[in-house]
Amino acid sequence: MNGWIGRCLRVNLTDGKHQVEKLDTDLLEKYLGGRGLGVKIFADEVDPNIDPLSPENKLIFCSGPLVGTGAITGASCNVITKSSLTQTLACAKMRGHFGAELKYAGFDIVIIEGQSEAPVILSIKDDKVKLIPGLEYWGRSTAETEELFKKNLDDPWIARETYLVSIGPAGEKLLPLANLVNDRFLSVGGAGIGAVMGAKNLKAVAVKGQHSLQVADGSRFVRVINTLINKLNSAPLTSQSMSQWGTAFLVGLCYQKGILPRNNFRSTSQPLKNIGTEALNSAFALRGRGCFACPIACIKKADVKYSVFEGKGMVPTYLAIGSLGFNCGISDLSAIGVMSMLCGEMGLDPVATGGNFATVMELVEKKAVTPEELKIDISFGNADSMIEAIRLISTKKGYARRLGQGGMAISESFNMPEIFMGVKGLSLAPFDPRAIQGMGLHFATCNYGPHHLYGYTFIDELLNVHENLDPLETQGKASLVKRYQDTSAVVDSLGLCNWPLMGLKFNNYVPMVNSCLGTNYKADDLLSIGERIWNIERIYNMKAGFNMGHDTLPERFFKEPIPDGPAEGQISHVKEMLPEYYQLRGWSEQGEPGLEE
Amino acid sequence: MPRIKIDHTKCTGCRHCEAACSLNHVANTVNPRRARIRVMRDGNRYYPVIAGPFVDAACTSKQYIVIGDQTYDMCAFCRASCPQKPYFIEAETGIPLKCDFCGIPPSPSCVRWCNTGALELVED
Ligand code: SF4
Ligand code: SF4
Ligand code: SF4
Repeated sequence: MNGWIGRCLRVNLTDGKHQVEKLDTDLLEKYLGGRGLGVKIFADEVDPNIDPLSPENKLIFCSGPLVGTGAITGASCNVITKSSLTQTLACAKMRGHFGAELKYAGFDIVIIEGQSEAPVILSIKDDKVKLIPGLEYWGRSTAETEELFKKNLDDPWIARETYLVSIGPAGEKLLPLANLVNDRFLSVGGAGIGAVMGAKNLKAVAVKGQHSLQVADGSRFVRVINTLINKLNSAPLTSQSMSQWGTAFLVGLCYQKGILPRNNFRSTSQPLKNIGTEALNSAFALRGRGCFACPIACIKKADVKYSVFEGKGMVPTYLAIGSLGFNCGISDLSAIGVMSMLCGEMGLDPVATGGNFATVMELVEKKAVTPEELKIDISFGNADSMIEAIRLISTKKGYARRLGQGGMAISESFNMPEIFMGVKGLSLAPFDPRAIQGMGLHFATCNYGPHHLYGYTFIDELLNVHENLDPLETQGKASLVKRYQDTSAVVDSLGLCNWPLMGLKFNNYVPMVNSCLGTNYKADDLLSIGERIWNIERIYNMKAGFNMGHDTLPERFFKEPIPDGPAEGQISHVKEMLPEYYQLRGWSEQGEPGLEE
Repeated sequence: MPRIKIDHTKCTGCRHCEAACSLNHVANTVNPRRARIRVMRDGNRYYPVIAGPFVDAACTSKQYIVIGDQTYDMCAFCRASCPQKPYFIEAETGIPLKCDFCGIPPSPSCVRWCNTGALELVED
């Protein structure tokens, strides 16, 4: 089967048994693979009203058809489950080499069911599936887990080719902020997924293998990829900005447009000396690292140096810089680097964690709670105590253990739900929706809370790659949002990365898909598959109790205009754009899609 | 004579070179373990190694070198396809592999797909 191995692994942790199933080819046609296929399987098998931490919840690792074939950026594997933070469907994207290696190990999909009694690690090596006792790994950071696992393999050659995804202490303690971390440093980007894996007592999944993948028309495929590499190299963002600084290059641009939030979305002014790529260069010596088959290599590693910590880590991404840093009033890039690294080690999601602390900081500022009561001085701009608090919440130690429940739960427990800056329980990615209206509409309507990886309209609104749009304008944004949301569903389902779209058009992907899979898709066919995927996700969430009332933003964005900066005086116009968005999607006025096809 | 120059400091570990090499040698098939170039990972760094001659016994000059805080197994950087290591052995047939400098002109497949300049075609 072109692109696919053709096999799906189902592991039941309750009785420790596993079985191998054939991939359902009818589903592939309708849902492509990756996110689409995973969501379809999940929606068919799991009742929307279960408790995410119960054994009934499942965890699906689903690779896309292009993953591991050498298709540019064909690296990602999606993790689908019901998130314990948002209570919605989550389909987080795992980058790096795990997805490709999973296929080489002989499986396209791994479905994990049930709940193990004791901690285990799932190891998949060339069709051989084993559950290894995981007690000695329990309590360890994600980095330590990976190191120890490889050491225990007792063969450096095999260790070199083994890839791991694991949870940290935060996931073990079932923190709703918990996330998975793969390939040592990469956070998977789905808060609440770590807790699901923790509840299953599954510490890690390790893969290694040497299976081959087939492509339909190898020589055409190679030619197409040559052209795509040339195209990426002639586009300034993919050839320079992304390869040099990763997404962190966005910091300066967002600042200039008044999009980068400060102090829990109450200002957009920042200390200038920490903005921009020069500041990054002086804080970190950057080294590029790429996901499998990626010519861009936007992942940046560096040595992190700060008063309380020194060691190897990742250069924080735009998300980490915005969420853990500027929005918490912290602008020292080295401190942000340490926090972002710590989040990785502890298995915390940087966006949800940043939003969590920004909420606590505003509570303290509004005197709803005092630092004395918290026994730690969490306040805007205090990096050292935030670093301390990140450790405390993830190990649930000290008084701060109450602070890791996510911004929404914390703000509600102090009767100030209005200061939580998030939707569906997930904190906003650091883009002020008043200054970039399309992102605002996406944040309000996204099936998995306000996450920028499910609809990257900023590529046109801010970076003006394909279209020159004004971020403050609302005209035409509904269709822009729909287009990007559908695109993200397709790209995730194929197993590709979204960032090449900073240089390529979506249409450029099509010949690569067709020559690899032997299909005859047109761009519009793919986009309508994307729309179908978006709709089943929506339907699933509606069955889980979500409705149009959840398609909104925090009141602050409608009532309080941005007080300063280039977008001063702006408020969000999501409510005006929503009816048009529903209409374009073909949904009812109540935002309900028709019946599933 | 043209040869491939490797600059490991530029390598991002993306393994696109491995995919390119295997696609070019086994029709319509991708499998890094069948490639004649492999990217070794040691700690934080990546080292592309291109398969050289086949030897039927392990050498006697095997050693470990310590640079900074890291210990390197020199076997990992050796180009020989030798019984000491599972690299450069064709995964399905067990036949030892050797780079055949494919795809010239204009440039070998691995160089063509390496976008960072870690692999470069040079004339001596
Ligand atoms: S652009 Fe970045 S995230 Fe995307 S595949 Fe390349 S290295 Fe990975
Ligand atoms: S030159 Fe050709 S055979 Fe040699 S490593 Fe590169 S792609 Fe493989
Ligand atoms: S393609 Fe180039 S950068 Fe990527 S792993 Fe190979 S040598 Fe390194």
